[in-house]
Amino acid sequence: MSQQILRLARPTKIEFIRLRRRLATARRLHKVLRDRLLILTQELISLYREAIERRSRIHEEVMRCETELMRTSSYTPPWVIEEFSNVRISTSSVVVGSRVVAGVRLPLLEYEAKTGEYEHGTYPLTLEEVGKCYEEVLREVLRLAEVEASIFEVGREVQRVRRKVNALENIIIPRLRSTIKYLRMKFEEREREDKIRRKRIKQILARKGVMLR
Amino acid sequence: MSEDRIYESLLRNELRVVNSYIASKRKSLPDLLKEEYPHVLTLDGGVHMFRRSELLLAMEELGEESSRLMLPIYVELIPTQTITTAVVRDEVAVKLISRILGVESVSPLYVYPIQLMELRRRIGTLIQYVISPETINVPQESD
Repeated sequence: MSQQILRLARPTKIEFIRLRRRLATARRLHKVLRDRLLILTQELISLYREAIERRSRIHEEVMRCETELMRTSSYTPPWVIEEFSNVRISTSSVVVGSRVVAGVRLPLLEYEAKTGEYEHGTYPLTLEEVGKCYEEVLREVLRLAEVEASIFEVGREVQRVRRKVNALENIIIPRLRSTIKYLRMKFEEREREDKIRRKRIKQILARKGVMLR
Repeated sequence: MSEDRIYESLLRNELRVVNSYIASKRKSLPDLLKEEYPHVLTLDGGVHMFRRSELLLAMEELGEESSRLMLPIYVELIPTQTITTAVVRDEVAVKLISRILGVESVSPLYVYPIQLMELRRRIGTLIQYVISPETINVPQESD
C-alpha cells in the first residue's frame, strides 16, 4: 500500500479542502468501478460455465447424430440421404446482433432456418430425426461461438476495470488519505505553536506592564 | 489538467459507460414480437437485441399480462448489501421473474446472486443491470 504523500505547493487550508474533495471523488469512482467489476466477474463466471456446458452438449449431440445417421444409412440409399439434405432446409441465415451487459457490447447470434417444402412421408422418419439433430447441433455451435466471443470481451473489460480499481485502492486513495493526515497534523502543529507564541507574548506583555507600573 | 479534473472526468466517463446501455425508450413485449429483429436503441446510440425464444418464454409465462411488460427489465443492483443483491421494482416484471425463479411474487422483488445466474441463463437478453444511484453517494469519512 502506498504511504507516500502528494507533492504540495503549500500546505494551506484551501489545499486541504481541495484534497478532501478529491478524495470524495476518488472514493465515488472506486465504488462505481467496484460494482461494475462485480457484475462483470459474475457475468464472466456464468459465461464460462455456459461454455463448458454447451461444449459437452455439442459433443453428446454430435455422437447421437452420427449414430442415428449410421443406422439410417444402413437401410437408406445414399442418393436419398443426399436428396433429403438438399431439400430439408430451403433457406438458412444467421442474425448477427449485439446485446449490452454492464457497458460491454457482446455479440448475439441467432440461427434462423426455413424448412423446405416436401411431402411428408417421402423420406424415412429416422432421416427426419437425423436432420433435426444436425440442425440442433448447428444452433448449439452458434450459441457456443457467441458465448466464447463474449468471454473474450468480458474478460478484457474485467482486466481493464480491475487495473483501475487496484490503482485507486492501493495508490490513489491511500496517498490522498496520508496527504490529508499530513496536512491535518501540520495544522495542529501550527496551532500548538501559535498557542505557545500567544502565551509567550502574554507573558512578555505582562512583564512589561509590571515594569511600566 | 489538474488531478481533480482527471478524477472528475474519469468518474464522469465511468458513469457514462455504466448508464450508456440503458434503453432510450423501452418497448412492450407484443410490439417487440411484431418486429423482425426485436431490439431497442440504447442511450449511446447502440442496439440491444432480444432473443426471440426468450421473448416467447416471457409471453408464455405471463399470458394476458404480457402486453403490460416493458422491456428491457431493469435489475437494480444494491451496493450497500454485503453480497450483490438486485431488486426489481416493475410489477409485471416481478411476476415474470418470480414465475421463472419459482418464488413468491412480492413487489419489490429481491434477487440474490444464485438467482441472478438463473435469470441470466433463462432471460439474459431481457434484463439489464442498473447501477443504483445509492452507489454514487459514498458516506463521508470521519475525521
